[in-house]
Formats: sequence, C-alpha cells, structure tokens
Amino acid sequence: MRHLLVCATVLVAIWSCRPEPDDYDLLDQMVVSTNYDTTVYIGGNRVNTYKTYALPTDTIGYVSNTDRNDTIRTSPQYDLPRKVLQAVETNMSSLGYTRVGFDATPDIGVNVYAVKDLNLFQQVVYPNYYYSGYYGYGGYYYYPYVQTYAYNTGSLVVEFVDLKNAAANKKYVVIWNAYMGDLFNAVNQLDQSIEAVNQAFDQSPYLKVQ
Amino acid sequence: MRYLIFTIALLGAQVLYAQNNYFYIALDVNTPLGNKDFVDGTSARGGRIGYRAFVTEDSRVSIGVDASWTTFDTYKPTETFEAPGGAITTDYFNYVYQYGLAVSGLYHFKLGENERVFPYAGVGLGANHNEYAQYYNIYSNAEKKWGFLVRPEAGILFKFTRNRGLGAMAAVHYDYSTNKSENFNIDKFSSVGFQIGLIVMNRY
Repeated sequence: MRHLLVCATVLVAIWSCRPEPDDYDLLDQMVVSTNYDTTVYIGGNRVNTYKTYALPTDTIGYVSNTDRNDTIRTSPQYDLPRKVLQAVETNMSSLGYTRVGFDATPDIGVNVYAVKDLNLFQQVVYPNYYYSGYYGYGGYYYYPYVQTYAYNTGSLVVEFVDLKNAAANKKYVVIWNAYMGDLFNAVNQLDQSIEAVNQAFDQSPYLKVQ
Repeated sequence: MRYLIFTIALLGAQVLYAQNNYFYIALDVNTPLGNKDFVDGTSARGGRIGYRAFVTEDSRVSIGVDASWTTFDTYKPTETFEAPGGAITTDYFNYVYQYGLAVSGLYHFKLGENERVFPYAGVGLGANHNEYAQYYNIYSNAEKKWGFLVRPEAGILFKFTRNRGLGAMAAVHYDYSTNKSENFNIDKFSSVGFQIGLIVMNRY
C-alpha cells in the first residue's frame, strides 16, 4: 500500500509541479518593441520634418559576438533580407516617405540588421540613441552598444538614423528603433519577421510624414 | 516564547506517539477567487500530500502537516502596451506557481457504526510561497513572495474495507494567503479547491 502511495505521489508531482508554456505557443509570434526619440516625436521640440529615406536593397546587417556565420543569409530561408526590406519599404511608403539613393542626401538612413547572442534590451525604454557611425556609408559597419536586459537572444532591428541633422548634431542620432525577437527561435522566421516589421510600424503612427 | 515551544513540543510528542494516523496523496483542483486579471480559470495542475495523527482517545481530533502545490496559468492574447517613449506588443502567459505548507487541526465526525466513513472539518495554518511569472517568447519576468496561509477545509475519508487501511478521500477547501506582488500589482491571493485522493490509514 505504501508503494502505491509513493507511486501516486510521484505521478501527481510530475504532472503538476512546475509546468511552463509550450515552446510552439511562445515562439509563434515575435515580441515587438519600438522606441522613439521624445525630442522629435509626440510633442518633442524638434519637429518631425523627415521626408526621404535610404535603405539597402537586398542585404541586412548581421552582428554577433559569438557566431561569425551569417545564418540569415546561409539558411534555406535566405529570402529573409529581401522580404524584410520590402516590408520596411512598403510601410515607409504608406507613411508618406520617399525612398532615395544613399548619395541623394536622405533625411533618414534606415538600418536593418539582425543580432545574435548579443545581450539585447527587450523592454520599453529609452534607447541608447547616440553613436558615431552609420551602416551604409563608407563601407564600414559600426553599431551602437545596446544596454542589456535579456541574454543569449537574437533580434531583428530596424532603426531610423537622423541624417538630416547629422552635421548640426555632429553625430548620428537614432530617432526611432524597433527590436523584434526572438528571431532565431521563431517557428516561421520569414513570416513572423514580416509580421513583426508590420506591427512595429502599426504601433508607431507618429512616424507619418508631416 | 518558552510556553509556545513547550506547547508545540507537547503536541508534536502526542502526534508521534499517536496510535491512529493516516497519510494521503491527492489531486487538487483549484480556482482562483481574486486577481482574475492575472490568472483565471480552474487548474487541475495541483496536488497535496499530508500526514495526520489522531490526538484524542476517541480518534476524533487530528493534527497534521500538509504540503500542497498548484499551478495557475492564463494565456493573454496579443496586446500593445504603450509607455513614454515607446510601445511593446506581444502575447503572453501568466503563471502562478503556488507551494504551501500548513499545520492542520481537524475534527472527524462519527458516521454510522461500521467505522469506514469519516467526515471531517477543520482549519490549516501555515505559509504559502507564490511565484508570479510572465512568459513571452523567449523572455520572462518573475517575482517570488511568501505569505501567511489560512485554509478552512471539509472533507470525507472512506476506507475501502473495515480491516485494511487503504481508502479514498475527497475534500473542499478555501485558501487565503497574504502573498503580494508589487511587480504584477497583486495583493493577497485566494482560491477554492477540490481534492480527491488516496489514504493509507493505520488504526489499531
């Protein structure tokens, strides 16, 4: 009888002790976090006067502090960069922006990149706006150090860099960004990435051209 | 304080030397009564084990120890949270992992002459440990809190045969604990539960 009781105890304990949500249910949708420069948008004292933007055609940046292999471009879903960039372009167009070349003095430089194994902030916070480089110019990549919260994560990042006022500011200022994650554990990386990009713009109506 | 320790020691000694006692293991089904914004719905993911010893000659009053565990969970569909400077959109799961330890005092009523059915009622006092957790994608937030637990309970024990100790039990209970969570804005936690299980009774 005691054995029966012990077995029943173990069964009940295994059944109920500390369940967590199923991975599939957790990972079938990305978390989309957007952050804006409060001095530019929604009552900021620097008016939103941006009208043109530049965007890479078919590649997105890739940053990793452990894995140097670009799994975005080498994976079977290697459509991802182009489709994501198309989604960004569609949303920018809907907001009233005009796409121009990098050499046509765009108001905004749109950075799109994936990060892997970098410690990335995934809460609603003021981002670390200031850094001294810009992806797309001069053939070098320089990304901002991002304040961390989560760990061992991978995110898709879209950010607006203020090129219009770069000379006056004497630095490149990120005026809007979107972190979408987790990119690398997504059930359907391509579809979820595009949905996440669309959601990032949907929840940022203040980006609309004035 | 010395008087309290002496009393507890005396009660403990009575329990240890008690002739009649029983162990039980039960499945515990619970429904939260408050904080329904955080977790809602009935959870069958729970259990209880315990030991109770009769401390009176007529085997009417028992003192025992109960350990319980329950997980409450709720899925929250996709929502956008606005904050100064930005917004975040996600679906998420709220969980409460509850672990309780209580000392119970119960009165067992006499029912019939065959000594196979024992209705009982009483109360348990102890501590609850609640872990409030939120899962979204690969991320999670959690806060762990202790609280004081009060658990009124009524149930029935049923021996399968008169001479053997194996039997079944069923009970209803109300749990009230003082666990707070500042992060998730939860003040106190209460639930009502139904349990059904097996007992091994030693009666000489």
